[in-house]
Amino acid sequence: MKIKNSKLKVFILSLFAVHCSLFTETAYAMHISEGILPFNWALFWSLIAVPFVAWGLYKLKKLSSVDLSFKPLVGLMAAVVFIISCMPIPVPTAGTCSHPCGTGISGILLGPAISILITAVALLIQALFLAHGGLSTWGADIVSMGVVGSFAGFLTFRLLRSMKINMAVSGFMAGLLADWATYLTTSAELASGIKGDSAFMPLFWKILIAFMPTQLPLGILEGAMTAGMVTLLYKKRPDLLVRMRVLKPEEAI
Amino acid sequence: MEIFSEYLKKDHLLSQVDARVKLGVSLFILAMVLSYKGLAFPLLILGLSLCLCIKIKMPFKAFLLRFSEPVFIALVIVLIKFLFSGKEVIFSISLPTSHFSLFTLTGHKDGLMDGLQIGSRILGAVSVVAVMGFSTPFTEFMAGLSWLKVPRGIIEISLFAYRYIFVLLEDAMVIYNAQKNRLGYSNIKRGLSSFGTLAGSLTLKAFEHSQNTTTAMLQRGYDGNIPMLKHKPFKLSEVAVSVLLIITLGVVWKI
Repeated sequence: MKIKNSKLKVFILSLFAVHCSLFTETAYAMHISEGILPFNWALFWSLIAVPFVAWGLYKLKKLSSVDLSFKPLVGLMAAVVFIISCMPIPVPTAGTCSHPCGTGISGILLGPAISILITAVALLIQALFLAHGGLSTWGADIVSMGVVGSFAGFLTFRLLRSMKINMAVSGFMAGLLADWATYLTTSAELASGIKGDSAFMPLFWKILIAFMPTQLPLGILEGAMTAGMVTLLYKKRPDLLVRMRVLKPEEAI
Repeated sequence: MEIFSEYLKKDHLLSQVDARVKLGVSLFILAMVLSYKGLAFPLLILGLSLCLCIKIKMPFKAFLLRFSEPVFIALVIVLIKFLFSGKEVIFSISLPTSHFSLFTLTGHKDGLMDGLQIGSRILGAVSVVAVMGFSTPFTEFMAGLSWLKVPRGIIEISLFAYRYIFVLLEDAMVIYNAQKNRLGYSNIKRGLSSFGTLAGSLTLKAFEHSQNTTTAMLQRGYDGNIPMLKHKPFKLSEVAVSVLLIITLGVVWKI
């Protein structure tokens, strides 16, 4: 009885990958490591990221000209995203630790444009000092974590809030979808970068399946974390949420 | 997080070199490593960078922290390419037994070569950035980026973020220890709730710090722009050695 099932092969490989990850302190699957992407793909993703970062810079300039405390605030939010994305969270199904992205919450609080800028800065510091991501993969990481993650978090939260869904559930879904959307994009970037002469789609599915044991529960964890953050801000400082246009003034009472 | 400052030595051969020169050379080498088709050049760069790591007295713990993740990723990619990509089959094993097979593991020669090429590229590229990161203080690196005309907004936000990472990290540790002492991480549900509270509290702290920082900076003449480090003129010897190094590596890359 010979079953040639490629998904089974991938499942075995994913188990192996999980066991390998036990030997490392943390598994940073969301960042594309330095050197993975060949020059042309690194350049391609950087060019995709440029207009989004430029949009973030434009918004920063506009908002900081009105409020001088805005730049320090964005810098501090970048530090928060950096710290959150360095904190290991246990992933029960994988028996290892991973980390949240934090881009969902920055997207919700400051909007996608500023969130993209925050992600770019956090990624730059991580690439230089912690070898999470890299300079050559900065563009690709900005696209997956910054652009896709921030937009997914922001749009999900706004859509659910417009449907009168409560804060915790909206926050949870925003965090969850921001994380999973980042994971999907990272898989596509990774597959395009390492495929060589092979076809794109089979490799994309293999990478997606290989990281599923870590990333699926991690998305749920990120959702719970985002819900916790949003709820805490809603309870303690609703005025801040109003100032950042996350809440309408009448909702804060 | 101690990797930021405690490991940065100031008395080695690269510490006095202009950050712009180090940045320029690193970017050139990075581009060569990424565009090279083969194993030799990235491995040569890895070897040279490892020698430099020893020369600049990079601590072994920092070295392990820096390279453990890229090595793991390189291994996974070599395996993925070896087992799932390629046409030239080296072996094919039916598992669990050849009589009762649930699935077949197939190794590919061309897949393995592709995987090794990507793996060597990862290690070569990571080693270049590691040497630069360990030999250049953050503020000098930012001044180098400013000289390269990276937008001022990115540099200013990076400087704010870098300054406050340590402050917020300290706040995070205080909150985390308080939560841990009150059994905040005793099970998954409580752990998640505590982590959400921790992250929310950090955001609140960030708002408070940003207001206080702005007030303090305004009193010291802040007008919305942070002044950058002033660059000294380039040293001819540093530029000459760098150009020579790039040309030599360029020749090796071409061969």
